[in-house]
Amino acid sequence: MSPHDEMLDAVAAYALGALPAHEASEVIGHLRGCAECRAEYRLLQPAVTAVAYSAEACADPASGAGQASPLLKTRIMKQVRGEVSRARASRPWAAYAAAAACLALAIMTGLVDLSLSGRLSQERAQVAEQNQTIADFMAPDSRRHPFAGGEVLMRGQRLYIAMHDMPMPPKGKVYQAWTLAKGAKTVAPSETFMPAPSGMTVVRLPEAATTLAAVAVSIEPEGGSRQPTSKPIAMISLQ
Amino acid sequence: VTIAAKAGAVEDASRLMERVRAGDADAFEALYDRYHRLVYGLALRVLADRGAAEDVTQAVFLKIWDRPALFRGGNFAAWLARVTRNRAFDAVRARSVRAEGDFPASMPVDEALEEVAIAHLDGARVRDALAQLPPEQREPIELGFFGGVTHQEIARRIGLPLGTVKTRIRTGLRRLRNALEGAVTV
Repeated sequence: MSPHDEMLDAVAAYALGALPAHEASEVIGHLRGCAECRAEYRLLQPAVTAVAYSAEACADPASGAGQASPLLKTRIMKQVRGEVSRARASRPWAAYAAAAACLALAIMTGLVDLSLSGRLSQERAQVAEQNQTIADFMAPDSRRHPFAGGEVLMRGQRLYIAMHDMPMPPKGKVYQAWTLAKGAKTVAPSETFMPAPSGMTVVRLPEAATTLAAVAVSIEPEGGSRQPTSKPIAMISLQ
Repeated sequence: VTIAAKAGAVEDASRLMERVRAGDADAFEALYDRYHRLVYGLALRVLADRGAAEDVTQAVFLKIWDRPALFRGGNFAAWLARVTRNRAFDAVRARSVRAEGDFPASMPVDEALEEVAIAHLDGARVRDALAQLPPEQREPIELGFFGGVTHQEIARRIGLPLGTVKTRIRTGLRRLRNALEGAVTV
């Protein structure tokens, strides 16, 4: 077998996607300058797509074993249509849901330093959390407490602060949420957070929503404070 | 007729993607209905886990919705198959203890694929065509495409020299292509 025949065989393995990265780049380099190998690649490519089709799930719903759950489509379309209605109606609560989705995506892309398995489980958790947030913001039974610059949303025991047009805090400072428990005299420290570049933020507070009388937000030194050190920028009564 | 029908389907997918770019959720749903069995089936074959395959399916379709510009024209099904396979392999890597170098390179997805579309490409028809291949060609092709392994690993598993494995892949792909005739350039 001539060296070029060997290259043609390598082109086939490349088309199939079975070459390790360094060999794949060798083939890519060769394809640029060799018309014969490019022709071979074009000839084999459709066969590779055909191989992919051999795994296509059965169209017959009676053999449902090979099929995705119909709930998957519901889940995906809910998210897609939710974003569309947000764009059309520009209702702030729907925009917050989209902000939560973007935020989760940004977090995922930021996870490159973690090990891949760590990344995957983090991604899964993120996606679950994101789906929950979107569902809560879209749900008609959520309780909303609007205030200038945003709203507090409660559904069951889950509690979110959603804010828009937030400036970045000064260097060394963060936003911090505070909660006032029913019957309490002083506020307790909750999450610290930064706005997304868009100025939008959705923060889930860990406290159980029904135990609280009020929520506040102030600007605090990085790491957060145990008591507010600045006048709150928002105070929202949940009564 | 079948050739025209396939060309029509290819054109349809491109047109649907144009509407998806404009934020048309109905067009997105039509794409989902047409292609979810390919995406899910492929992910399931690679991952052998229904939950993980659904995760990949959701990720792939939401990526299409969020970033439709990633598809730069050409054969949509071919592009989609590559995106799905890459994503499924990411999941395999994530749960594997193998070294990165033991994995095949991702398939290119960032350029328009001027790929010839094969008429009437569907699961049952391709499974029949694959079944007609001699096992010594079918096995390395299936391992190479779905197994997430490089040709070195295929050679090791089958117990053949590397060169022989590559030759069999090439011969098998050519034969499959001939068996599925009715190709039409788009």
